[in-house]
Amino acid sequence: MAALLEVKDLVTAYGKIEALKGVSLEVAEGSITCLLGPNGAGKTTLMFSIAGVLRPKAGSVRFRNEDITRKAPHAIVSSGVALVPENRLVFPGMTVLENLQAGAYQRNDSLDEDIERLFARFPRLKERAAQPAGTLSGGEQQMLAVARALMSRPRLLLMDEPSLGLAPLVVEEIFRIVAELHRDGTTIFLVEQNAHMALKVAQHFFLMEQGRVTFSGDPGSLAEDEVIRRAYLGSAKA
Amino acid sequence: MLLDLAQNTLDGLGAGASYALLALGFTLIFGVLRRMNLSFGPAIMLGCYAATWVNLNFQANLLLLAVVALAATTLAGVYVERLCFAPHRRGSAIAAMVASFALWMQLEELATAFLPRHLYAFPPLYAGGPLELAGLSLRVEAIVMTVAAAGACALLYAILYRSRFGLAVRAVIDSSTAAELSGINVPRVFAAVFALASAIGALAGILIASAHEQVTPMLGMWSTLKGLAAMMLGGLGSLPGAVAGGLALGLLESHSQWYLGPQFRDLTIYLVLFALLALNPRWMTTRSAS
Repeated sequence: MAALLEVKDLVTAYGKIEALKGVSLEVAEGSITCLLGPNGAGKTTLMFSIAGVLRPKAGSVRFRNEDITRKAPHAIVSSGVALVPENRLVFPGMTVLENLQAGAYQRNDSLDEDIERLFARFPRLKERAAQPAGTLSGGEQQMLAVARALMSRPRLLLMDEPSLGLAPLVVEEIFRIVAELHRDGTTIFLVEQNAHMALKVAQHFFLMEQGRVTFSGDPGSLAEDEVIRRAYLGSAKA
Repeated sequence: MLLDLAQNTLDGLGAGASYALLALGFTLIFGVLRRMNLSFGPAIMLGCYAATWVNLNFQANLLLLAVVALAATTLAGVYVERLCFAPHRRGSAIAAMVASFALWMQLEELATAFLPRHLYAFPPLYAGGPLELAGLSLRVEAIVMTVAAAGACALLYAILYRSRFGLAVRAVIDSSTAAELSGINVPRVFAAVFALASAIGALAGILIASAHEQVTPMLGMWSTLKGLAAMMLGGLGSLPGAVAGGLALGLLESHSQWYLGPQFRDLTIYLVLFALLALNPRWMTTRSAS
């Protein structure tokens, strides 16, 4: 399978501190690829760097063989990459429907069909269409964040810890939706702390520790308890 | 007695309507950028000076002067945004505020370089006397101000809640990171909001200058102070709050001036602001636009 997303030697720094110290990885078209790693490994920094919110110091990001490294975030959305950010970041003061409309801001065609389809997939959002997004539960806000990202019709969906802070039942629902979206043809690049769930859906995974990719393989290429140990704690190098 | 109360209330609403416009302009900028733009008032002053200059040289009518003020204020506002706020979008809020203070000085110098006298006459909103109605004397200026401010509020509401651009503005107010990730061109929204806020401010400036029938370089600081006070009275960052805060400021001023005397007018405002903060510290924490 061809690489849809290609990250090469990416370095992103906050002032003098490098959070990414030369990250290289690929996401194959049509795959679910997962990025695991302990807190502070640089996973969210990588997601923000791909989406253009953070500007990398060096290295490149290529999407469909096009260099998107220094593009503005809105231009990256229009080239087909959408990020569901950590902690969901819905627009709390706007209604559920307005959140979806904002997600399609780049598009000029009619949104009705997409909104209907998303409402069918997320019936809870339909019930709450006119309600401010800030009044939704955590799980509902996560559904909304996913739906909002889908409104831009992305070819690549980036998801940053969609299970964060959610009840186990809701987490299962989120992963069911991830699998469904994948079946419908969306390529998904997922950051997760929940290694057990992630390894069940992913075809490929990367382990990131202290700003570097330290392992890459298929689920099963590394014993799950070893993956989980390193995903939570980092390798015991010290 | 009751007549005085009614008369003061009417006058207060008239002044309050223009304060509401100033507060709306401030709130838009503050809500979208989370930055304090001290040059907001001076840009308005510059716009009114441009109109005064046109009036002195060509004796234009008030409508044309309003257009001149609108264009000049918007231009000055976008200039301030490019210089003070666009480069500091992710940087320090203090740096942006200090930069906007520097531009305040610049705009004042520019205005006085062209029109060096301290005071210039400005054409009145309405030349005739007040209307008499059931013992009340209604100042026509106050009515025009209230109607114009209400019209501007309605237009702003339509823009913010009924248009695509308004959706983007509210999205940026709620979360600028999420707005970027949704495909909204955030720097462009910033520039457009500055232009919109400046236009609202210019309308307020024209109404105030022609109600006072004069302009001085102090109009800049005056507008910044009134706008800030009204915005804080209404609670930072809320658009309906800005309107309420402006009207409250106008009413507080007219009543305190009548019952306590002119020297207590501004003191009353700051005491009320102090009391609000002391009794309810969360009053001025930023809130969502909706």
